[in-house]
Amino acid sequence: MTRGVLLFAFNSPKYNYYEMAVATAKRINHFLGLPVTLVTDSESLPVKQSYEFDNVILAPADKSNRRDWGVWYNKGRYRAYQFSPYDETLLLDTDYMVNSDKLLKTFDLPTDFCCHDTTSFLMHPKAAQEMLSVYSFNTLWATVIMFKKTKRAEQIFNCLEMVQNNFEHYANIHGFIAATFRNDYGLTLATRIVNGQTTPNEDIIPWNLLHVGKNTSAYSNTKDEFNTEYTVMFDNWNRGKIRKEYITIKDTDFHVMNKENFMELISE
Amino acid sequence: MDTTLLITEAKARFNHNSAKTYLKDKYDSKFIVADQSGLWRANLETINFLNSSTDEQVILIDTFNNPVKVNRTSLLYKLADTYKNVMEEWHNEWADLEKKR
Repeated sequence: MTRGVLLFAFNSPKYNYYEMAVATAKRINHFLGLPVTLVTDSESLPVKQSYEFDNVILAPADKSNRRDWGVWYNKGRYRAYQFSPYDETLLLDTDYMVNSDKLLKTFDLPTDFCCHDTTSFLMHPKAAQEMLSVYSFNTLWATVIMFKKTKRAEQIFNCLEMVQNNFEHYANIHGFIAATFRNDYGLTLATRIVNGQTTPNEDIIPWNLLHVGKNTSAYSNTKDEFNTEYTVMFDNWNRGKIRKEYITIKDTDFHVMNKENFMELISE
Repeated sequence: MDTTLLITEAKARFNHNSAKTYLKDKYDSKFIVADQSGLWRANLETINFLNSSTDEQVILIDTFNNPVKVNRTSLLYKLADTYKNVMEEWHNEWADLEKKR
């Protein structure tokens, strides 16, 4: 039985996802003790590589997606099933900061596919859960996915491809904006379709996905490569004034939504 | 980055409520135990039930709402051990945060 982690990293004009993937892979090796396979394109792969991935799979990036800050090469995540060389795979976003061995627990869950359905925002304890639209379902999150090589998991990824190809149609049905393809939305719809329009409890990772979100920044407390202690600073707007607030966290995995902040963290 | 300097210069205030919420979130997930084909939460209710029963095997509803037949003593040992360790860690980290101003 082989286990490993799969990362997708396609550099955009604004962000170097390859660099993010290298930093994340090192932390995965250190904290989870798992090999990492990278899916990237030849344009993102540097000539001199400072880190040796378990495998590097070259695949063309689908460049047809846009976000408010520019081009976003996030399409094609459905190929994870086909590309993963492992029997049991963790599919992670490159901006997921691994600080513990917690994700290993997902392999012990009695399921062949799971992802997060609930999020917490550091310093935003009352943030609402995201929904596809006010008339639709709670969003599942594609940031962390554990899957095994089973027929059902394959069907979910095949369905994700179908949803990606017909995103506008699903946006019309569920009442969300189709301008930007989001894997989270695609995954939500794909898992529901495969599971007969339900989301089984077994498909949900039984803890919250922790985000460092809007108006919030994380800073490493030490210069160690594998630092696990952070200060999280939040700009609390009150009557037109900003009041800085902070907490300290340690040994906790988190997802950094602000890519600039993630780049700062890995270069500190 | 020197975070102590950052906090001083920004005149940032430690937010105890957010810290408390973060700790609860962090440690809640550590109570989860996968054992004997079920997923369990090491909480007082389950531990007390397992402790009070005398049967070798008992049937419990796991966190996925599936009834699972388990070896009582084996699960009790695992959950009680997890509960004790996690609570100890949680208490230590909470005590550290309580000192911050």
